[in-house]
Amino acid sequence: MELVLALAINGLIWGLIIALIALGLSIIFGLLDIINLSHGDFFMVGTVLAWFIVHWTGSFWLAFLLAPLIGLLLGALIMKLVIVPIKGAAALSIVATFGLSIILQETVRATFGPAPKRLLPPVEGTIPLFGIDYGIYRLVAAGIAIVCLAGFFLFLHRTKIGAWMRAVRHDPETAVALGIPVQRIYTITFALGFAIAALGGVVAAPITTVDFRAGVDILPFCFMAVIIGGLGNLQGTAAAAVLLSFMEGVITAFADPVVARIVSLCLMSVVLLLRPQGIFAGAMS
Amino acid sequence: MTGKAKKPTSLATSTNGTTRRSFLQTALAGGAFGTAYLAIGSNMYAKAAGPITIGHQAELTGGFSSWGYWHDKCAQKAAAIINEGGGIGGRELRVVTDDTESNPAAGARKLRSLIQRKGASFVTGSVHSGVMLASIPVATELKTVYFSCGEATEATGSKGSRYAFRTGNDTYTLSGAGAPWAYENLGKNWTMIFPDYAWGHSHHKEHKRVIEELGGKVNDPIAVPLDSRDLVPYLAKVPEETEVLFSVFFGALSVAFYTQAKNMGLGEKMKMYSVAGTIEAIAPADIDGAAEGVYFLENFPRPLAAKDDEYHKEFIKIMEIDPVNGREATSDRVIAKSHAWQPWENLFLLKAAIEASGWKGKKDDQGVIEYLEGAKMSNSLAHPQGDKILRAKDHSGILDNYISQVRGGVFETIKRIPKEEIDAKLPPRFDFTKTAL
Repeated sequence: MELVLALAINGLIWGLIIALIALGLSIIFGLLDIINLSHGDFFMVGTVLAWFIVHWTGSFWLAFLLAPLIGLLLGALIMKLVIVPIKGAAALSIVATFGLSIILQETVRATFGPAPKRLLPPVEGTIPLFGIDYGIYRLVAAGIAIVCLAGFFLFLHRTKIGAWMRAVRHDPETAVALGIPVQRIYTITFALGFAIAALGGVVAAPITTVDFRAGVDILPFCFMAVIIGGLGNLQGTAAAAVLLSFMEGVITAFADPVVARIVSLCLMSVVLLLRPQGIFAGAMS
Repeated sequence: MTGKAKKPTSLATSTNGTTRRSFLQTALAGGAFGTAYLAIGSNMYAKAAGPITIGHQAELTGGFSSWGYWHDKCAQKAAAIINEGGGIGGRELRVVTDDTESNPAAGARKLRSLIQRKGASFVTGSVHSGVMLASIPVATELKTVYFSCGEATEATGSKGSRYAFRTGNDTYTLSGAGAPWAYENLGKNWTMIFPDYAWGHSHHKEHKRVIEELGGKVNDPIAVPLDSRDLVPYLAKVPEETEVLFSVFFGALSVAFYTQAKNMGLGEKMKMYSVAGTIEAIAPADIDGAAEGVYFLENFPRPLAAKDDEYHKEFIKIMEIDPVNGREATSDRVIAKSHAWQPWENLFLLKAAIEASGWKGKKDDQGVIEYLEGAKMSNSLAHPQGDKILRAKDHSGILDNYISQVRGGVFETIKRIPKEEIDAKLPPRFDFTKTAL
């Protein structure tokens, strides 16, 4: 029973971090109809930026501030160079973002190097958690993820730009008629998606590793969360990421972790067959 | 303790104890590779027939690229030395490298291209077990000698062939070399955690066999999918009674494993033992103490002090790495030393085989294969890892291994396990010499 509780809590905590990354994927799809295969690499760039900033300044918290800002700028640049020229062509967006993914990975491999590195957590130590020694930083990371998720939804619902983002997503033509700078909102949305993924990278880097292929591994789980939560449904995506990770944690206590992942994939398939709009559509959209 | 430095005698490769003549032997006996020698060498192969092309399958991109860089660098440096010394039998050596992308399908496809389109007569192959196992059927079908650098034992076992060789270790020799020491010195109750693909399962199978034969207990295996980032669900399943946690990972999974295992305090509760592959291309100092105290089985020890001879020293100089951590002078890369020596040595071994058998073209391959079966290599610049044999029956390299421990962020060698001991313990399980060519 102790193992079940420990792994369930770990699943919940990991799910909160994944939710942060998947959220960026969801807002980009929701507003721009772009299936962004390079989103995992935005996360990876965040981990690498964090490593460089910590390496140069010694401050993790500075990385926490700077990496999303750099991500915001990179996102705006990518929007202009890669996404705008193919706007409206969904098939092309898959090819373009796949190419972007390779470019980002190889750029990092050429500059940061191919060997993985470790980023020390800003808070060290463990606490006993249902029979295992659990890293305190994971709890801190979960706290940061909750604050960031809450901050994002506050931004979306309490600021003018947030309202514009929702308006453009709901009805771009009317938004244009009302004088909302739609093109700028597209750019802000894409840049924000990059920034949130980069923030997820900073939060996750001390738990996992810093390496040029970090995004490849994380992307499939993010896609599962987005599909189960409902494409473009932001709250649904966040909830699905936490739910999936929690469920995998519980199953892992009884079975092989591979079985847990198979159950997640089966759940995704069922959702695609029976409720392609996502399990949270209607309730949270 | 450390590997005893052997008095330098020969650079060349020999069969049945007979030392072969080579340019390098002459050069090192004279004490140096001088510029005059280089000039003589270049004239010699200029007069001979066309170049001999040897293909090199390397992981230049993808998950194994931190290793692939060193495999490629070793192959290029060795080829340069061979060509500066007059090439192979007076013919220029041309090494053509193709990137496997760390992907078995791409690797096998590119091997076909290396042989059929780029004219590779021989191939020194991949260190990625998946690529290597996907490549051997292609090399066999195309009747081309192929050297594996990966460790899955099947390459010179159930999936091997008369054309497949391996100068380095496989999981059979690694388990036979290191597990008995670890069993005696670290503990009798083992749990094994490894990546969920050929290399990991091969290690589990072989180590389990050795530990159980010794009377130890091996708990349920923990196979980790390659795309895992959060290892807590796996590490939480390590039984409390475990005395030795045997791990086999590579690249990012290695760092994730050491980082998260250390965070969970597993290093304090049990001994951690692994093979060099788990920390290839990674300096313990770069992962901030996460690998501190871990025991490793190496075959080409990272510090020069562990095998302190002039050939090792020269290898370190040529590869532009420091003699303690193996870090490149011009970058912060760390050599994948226990594997990357293989393309280097394979080229010298092929040179010896080609020259000794009088190989001129494809029709003479049988002579090369017969030379390789049972070839003995002497500690030299051509074989800086040390003396070794390539067993005739199972085409497997038998070589010295070393038990090391990370102490204070650097490797310290504890014990050398001589190749004779390994050879005596591990009889060949396959005999490829009886297979028709």
